[in-house]
Amino acid sequence: MNTKDLIQLNNEKRNQLTEENNKYYGDMLVYIRTNFNKSERYTEEVLLELLEHLLQAQAAGRSAKEVFGDDPKTYCDDIVGEIPSENKSNRITFALYIVLNLIGTVGLTVGFVGFILHSLFELGNGNMAFPVGSGMLIIFIDLLLLALFIFMIFKWIKGSTFNEKRPKKWIEFLWLWALSTLFIGLTMLVLRIMPDIGTDFHVSFPAIILIAGIVYLISFIMNKKMRIIN
Amino acid sequence: MSLKSQLLKGILEGCILSIISREPTYGYELSVKLQEFGLDDVSEGSIYPILLRLQKEALIQGDMKKSEFGPKRKYYDLTNEGQEALKEFIHHWQAIKQPVNTIIEKGGKRE
Repeated sequence: MNTKDLIQLNNEKRNQLTEENNKYYGDMLVYIRTNFNKSERYTEEVLLELLEHLLQAQAAGRSAKEVFGDDPKTYCDDIVGEIPSENKSNRITFALYIVLNLIGTVGLTVGFVGFILHSLFELGNGNMAFPVGSGMLIIFIDLLLLALFIFMIFKWIKGSTFNEKRPKKWIEFLWLWALSTLFIGLTMLVLRIMPDIGTDFHVSFPAIILIAGIVYLISFIMNKKMRIIN
Repeated sequence: MSLKSQLLKGILEGCILSIISREPTYGYELSVKLQEFGLDDVSEGSIYPILLRLQKEALIQGDMKKSEFGPKRKYYDLTNEGQEALKEFIHHWQAIKQPVNTIIEKGGKRE
């Protein structure tokens, strides 16, 4: 059974929980899942086990609190502490997929937008010129920013579990909005202030579309074959 | 960690190994068996961190299997290392059980 099948099974079974148990278990699920570098396989297996257990206990008339205790956070920390780390090849595959997918998507967007602007509105000269060194550096820094952004979002999601009183919806929204704006702003800033490093490199927009298309296709096939994200 | 849970931890591991050694067992079943044997003071959920640890130490291995009637479940089995660890636990337990009982029964009484 693949990890993605386990997740789907979990989603289906969760519907059978009572509202109270669902809230308790839902927080546990989010808290345990939002961990970096833990084996996805073991994480999903134990989550499904906990759910199965809770469902059987529920049928016998016991609540989540009775099964897992009244300190779910400490309990979850115990669980997470015992989950083994993700193995190296899975981590590398995942990182490679993200990088290829991102470069493919951004490349396709830039290529198509540039191509349309040039051919329909005669804007630009039909190709993109950038210094090789700066280009590589921008991609690298933006990927780092993205990793940091995802890390912050995970932290934020994790922090929202097990809270008796959640902050108001609009305050949460404002936080998320500020964080996203900061991320997009920084990404753009890197693009603007990057000095020219290395020799100039010229590519036409159709060539960008072609290359980005191939890169995207590779990431797509990777995901189909190895079921990385779905 | 309280004295009670420290005391229980090692013993619980041994009991879990022992129950699993008889036949492949899944989580809920395991907790029911522990309670049936009288360990009803142990909170049900506490077996899962232990099961994860025993897997990490390669003493047990889990397999998602279809049960006769019912959904796919993760059944645990003892590995060879697990068999060894169980033998060792039984050995230690036998060696400690009698003296501890005697000490507790006699308490601080002087003869």
